[in-house]
Amino acid sequence: MKLKVYADRMSQPSRAVIIFCKVNGIEFDEVLIILAKRQQLSPEFKEINPLGKVPTIVDGRLKLFESHAILIYLSSAFPSVADHWYPNDLSKRAKIHSVLDWHHTNLRPGAAGYVMNSVLAPFLGGSLDSKAAAEAEQILTKSLSTLETFWLKGNAKFLLGSSQPSIADLSLVCELMQLQVLDEKDRLRLFSPYKKVEEWIENTRKATQPHFDVVHKTLYGAKDKVEKQRKMGTTVSKPAFQSKM
Amino acid sequence: MKLKVYADRMSQPSRAVIIFCKVNGIEFDEVLIILAKRQQFSPEFKEINPLGKVPSIVDGRFKLFESHTILIYLASAFPSVADHWYPNDLSKRAKIHSVLDWHHTNLRPGAAGYVMNTVLAPFLGRSLDSKAAAEAEKILTKSLSTLETFWLKGNAKFLLGSNQPSIADLSLVCELMQLQVLDEKDRLRLFSPYKKVEEWIENTRKATQPHFDVVHKTLYGAKDKFDKQRKMSKPGLQSKM
Repeated sequence: MKLKVYADRMSQPSRAVIIFCKVNGIEFDEVLIILAKRQQLSPEFKEINPLGKVPTIVDGRLKLFESHAILIYLSSAFPSVADHWYPNDLSKRAKIHSVLDWHHTNLRPGAAGYVMNSVLAPFLGGSLDSKAAAEAEQILTKSLSTLETFWLKGNAKFLLGSSQPSIADLSLVCELMQLQVLDEKDRLRLFSPYKKVEEWIENTRKATQPHFDVVHKTLYGAKDKVEKQRKMGTTVSKPAFQSKM
Repeated sequence: MKLKVYADRMSQPSRAVIIFCKVNGIEFDEVLIILAKRQQFSPEFKEINPLGKVPSIVDGRFKLFESHTILIYLASAFPSVADHWYPNDLSKRAKIHSVLDWHHTNLRPGAAGYVMNTVLAPFLGRSLDSKAAAEAEKILTKSLSTLETFWLKGNAKFLLGSNQPSIADLSLVCELMQLQVLDEKDRLRLFSPYKKVEEWIENTRKATQPHFDVVHKTLYGAKDKFDKQRKMSKPGLQSKM
């Protein structure tokens, strides 16, 4: 029985799991759960994951959700996965766990919170919230700074001084890719102080091509759509650039 | 060289790591970092952890922070640790990872956010925020419900249908213990619908005694202090003009 991956490619953690499988030659069936159509709340999907979250995998009788848990499981369960993705060495592995945990309580609330509250919320049935966006932006900026000065300290191509990518690189870079749907000026403003971060995103992209760009097509398509709306003036005000009376 | 654990027993994840070491006979030196005195920002501690977070450990030349990471590392690196804490079986291990991750994005912001914004903030140099408290309470209530109906589904004593505790039980129960500093009525109000959760907290406590209560003494002491302050000012029963 083939691995099943329930995912929405608009979801950062979904993309990380899908790209990981493709890069490592793990065969799987992808089942699309469209969050914007609330398909994660369907009775069928609730059978798979009562908490209604993507990504979720089914491997034989194992049903598993939480993308970090999934990436770790796949790295361990599929022998074709090279060691650098999730090293056997306990200390290296521990460092990967620590940046994955830091991601959950820092980069994710920052990046996802900012994108949600300045662009994406209306597409998911919610409303933009400029106060929440401002708070998220503070967390995001602090996280980008921590990436630049701590997690990417030194001259290595990837996190934690490594010259090969791990599941942490893939997970965190997919998170940051969500910022592609922002207004280009806004995105450049946020990223411009962080040269190492930009290089590292590019390194991770290169290391996982062509799958990285293929899987991100959905997001790039959303980016185009949102930009067209901005040009036509049908989205709400650009945070920090214009006031709308 | 003995393991060093930099911790503040007022911090939920610090307690989880300390209790885990004691229960498993892992020898360590505990270095107190008092968050209320901003000792996590001292230059000496920044050498250990530039991000200034507790708990942090030093094992030989190896420095590590993030409590889930530390618990996993210790469970793997110290042979005296029994398998049930962090099973070798990949599927069981994956389930433990999933509840630990869920903790970070659900139970922790809910529980810690609620306690911070209704009681603890002034002691850490911040102000109480009733709007943030209300938002955190929603997340907390939803998390308690998810624990009751999903993570504790069935009749087992511990999370994920297990009859022995794992690092996930210890981590999440230490998180919920922080709610001890709330006004007793408030705490009972929050917990009363969740009988399985209350039993599970008690199971985890029993499985890790006497260390659980010893390590929680600092928190119980803080609870007493807050209870006394509440009695003296009785907010909500009298208005102070």
